[in-house]
Amino acid sequence: MSDVVRIQSNTRILKVFFFGIVVLLSFSCRKRGCMDENAINYDADAEIADNATCTYEPFEKTQMLTNICDNYIIPAYTNFNEKNIALSNSANGFSSDPTLDAFEALQQNWKDALLSWQQVCFLDFGPAAFVILNNQVNLHPVDTDVINNNISLGVYNLDQASNNDAKGYQALDYLLHQPGMTSEDHVTYFTNNANAMTYLTDVVDNISYWSNYILTEWTSSYKDSFKSNSSSESNAQGSSISNLVNGLCYHYESIIRKGKIGLPLGAFNGFSQQEMPELVECYYHQESLPFAIESVNAMKKYINGESFSSSENRLGLDDYINFVGATQNSSTLSSVINSQIDQIIDKLEQLNDPLSNEIITNKPAVTEAYSALQQLVPYLKVDMTSALGVLITYQDNDGD
Amino acid sequence: MTGIKEWLYRQTFSEKSISPLIVFRILFGIMMFLSTLRFILNGWVYELYIQPSYFFTYLGFDWVKPFDLYGISLLFGLLLLSTIFIALGLFYRISTIVFFICFTYIELIDKTNYLNHYYFISLIGFLLMFLPANKGCSLDAYLGLTSKQQKVQAWTINILKFQMAVVYIFAGISKLNYDWLFEAQPLRNWLKHQTDLPFIGELMQYEFTAYLFSWGGALFDLFIVFILLNNRFRIYGYTLVIIFHGLTAVMFPIGVFPYVMIVSTLIFFSPDFHKNIVVWIQDRFALKSKNTVQTEIKAPTQNKRAISLLLGLYILIQLIVPLRYLAYPGDLFWTEQGYRFSWRVMLIEKAGYAQFFIHHPDNGTKKLIDNKEYLTPQQEKMMSTQPDMILQFAHHLRDEYSDTVIIESNGAEINIKQAKVTAEVYVSLFNKGSRLFIDSDVNLSKIKRGFHHKDWILQNEN
Repeated sequence: MSDVVRIQSNTRILKVFFFGIVVLLSFSCRKRGCMDENAINYDADAEIADNATCTYEPFEKTQMLTNICDNYIIPAYTNFNEKNIALSNSANGFSSDPTLDAFEALQQNWKDALLSWQQVCFLDFGPAAFVILNNQVNLHPVDTDVINNNISLGVYNLDQASNNDAKGYQALDYLLHQPGMTSEDHVTYFTNNANAMTYLTDVVDNISYWSNYILTEWTSSYKDSFKSNSSSESNAQGSSISNLVNGLCYHYESIIRKGKIGLPLGAFNGFSQQEMPELVECYYHQESLPFAIESVNAMKKYINGESFSSSENRLGLDDYINFVGATQNSSTLSSVINSQIDQIIDKLEQLNDPLSNEIITNKPAVTEAYSALQQLVPYLKVDMTSALGVLITYQDNDGD
Repeated sequence: MTGIKEWLYRQTFSEKSISPLIVFRILFGIMMFLSTLRFILNGWVYELYIQPSYFFTYLGFDWVKPFDLYGISLLFGLLLLSTIFIALGLFYRISTIVFFICFTYIELIDKTNYLNHYYFISLIGFLLMFLPANKGCSLDAYLGLTSKQQKVQAWTINILKFQMAVVYIFAGISKLNYDWLFEAQPLRNWLKHQTDLPFIGELMQYEFTAYLFSWGGALFDLFIVFILLNNRFRIYGYTLVIIFHGLTAVMFPIGVFPYVMIVSTLIFFSPDFHKNIVVWIQDRFALKSKNTVQTEIKAPTQNKRAISLLLGLYILIQLIVPLRYLAYPGDLFWTEQGYRFSWRVMLIEKAGYAQFFIHHPDNGTKKLIDNKEYLTPQQEKMMSTQPDMILQFAHHLRDEYSDTVIIESNGAEINIKQAKVTAEVYVSLFNKGSRLFIDSDVNLSKIKRGFHHKDWILQNEN
């Protein structure tokens, strides 16, 4: 076969191919068009859904990450750090001048700081995951024996993991609300017990060390890598979106759902499901619900891309979920998640503190709140992660 | 009929140049060396075979265990060594046997790690044991450990081509389903996360792109082998191979698989093409002259009847296994009965969440299991969407809890003889919302493992 003939036969094949494509494209005669309302070229007159022609605004992952970082994470950590500076100042004030007023101010500052922690606790990735921040500042239950032992010995190292359940907000919960003691008793206790006073300020200093640490980590270096590290393949492990979602899912499932309500309720307590009221957060303060509610509330803001200090709503995970078009029972997944969170807050608000009592006296209501918390787990872990293409990829995966 | 018979005979026993086989051996050895090295350097040996306390074994292979750190390290050491020896063509027969056994054994330890391309490598390893790929351009031939050969019987090359064809064509056939063709799933979901890819990211915002990729992928898989078989179009076909696998390598975390395929498809090239490579290698390493054994021009005569029979059997198995899903009722993507070993690559987007309960023997209360106590995150993830693994894990829990006495925090003593295990599992397929996956009331500890239909899987309501 000569070269000329070969070229000719090649062009003939090309012609047939193009002809075939033209025939395929001109096949339709009824009005076809994109019938997806989320698309840019949504065609209201279309009769036949030809969604292959739909065009969407590209989702700007970097923009979402920038929004979440600049408008939620950094302000929230800044606030967290400020509240802890205030806590630290008030502890030092009480230490130098142990009056009743100073003590009550300290209690209030403790509460404010703990509330500010609830707004950042689920940022459980990056620097926070690296140092296991939750265990540094808010592990519960605390071991009061270890606390009392540390105080009476006067020698301890709060950086040791063995002291994680003898420090943080929950240690302060105990120290500032010791059973059977009035505020005056507390003032007397700390005035007469120099070791206890030192321990109190040490615990506070330790918390503000960590709040300063986490803020510095984020503002100095992690911020930039978080915003830029978004273009990994399919949001694979290690990408910011994967980190953020995995951190959120983990913290919600293990610390909020299980730690704050499930464990004390007894949902994880073997066959008997015997209640364990002493496991509630802030057991000694006898007020747990505002903290639980705050964490879920803040999580909702975070998921929806709201700013920390206002309800200004920019690109968030909800928009990303909408962009992908994930549904649950023919509603959009983002609305399902939001209404489930609303339901959780509603159920939690119906409960009364002290939660440790409510668990015993009004168990059905607490169980209902727990069920609402539980119901969110698959929405986040299954539906959201798969919608966002976040895989728990520990190794290559060819998708089956 | 005689035409087909003759054709078959020619494809099996006619004499062909050995060079494609030699090039295949060398490249396969190098690829496997790099792939094994990467596996080890990534720390996966520890993560996948030492860290887990429980392994999802294959039915009939429950005796396969990862040994301890030393045992598994030895396996990987042997594997790595065998890949070098295969590339060099040294102690070829033993090396291929060691390679096949080590590789397959490692893959059989835990089905969590099942990947189609691992299965492919096992099959190639199996075939290589029987192929005379060391009869030239090898240390075996150089050192006189084997005779040199310029010709081999056609089947030794064609069986590799057949294997490649099976991979591509079955992968293509498996894409001929409603979700893939008419909903462009799961690519439609996946591509939406790719809008920030350099150069081609722009395209990903168009729904059309998902359909283009879906249809293009299906057509590619279905027809690429035929294009590669054609002398005239082969070079275009191979360009397509590079583009297709290159794209998948950029877009998805699928490791070395694309490169293995890009290299393996070279087998379709002409003997002359491979001869040039062999000559180039021989010139580089001066492997030509020192051989003491006489070069045999002709392929040795072998028992043609036995070869035909064994080849026929192998081919039959390769054709039946991917089709066994037809024997099961229900939606394949939902139940995954007959899903593995069938060249279904990147076909589904599935996620799940499973909670297991051990029941009190008398009073109806149940204890929630913390999966993390028994499984790694990867194992838990794979288990939550695959019924056979759910059942295996339930049986593991049954065995852990049966014949035990549990003392509760409230002092209650519970004596469990035969543990009843149930599971509440939610699965989402193609992002259409999580649904209850299996019958939450069924006592999984009483269900037998096996190839029979799992009637406790609920219908997919989507």
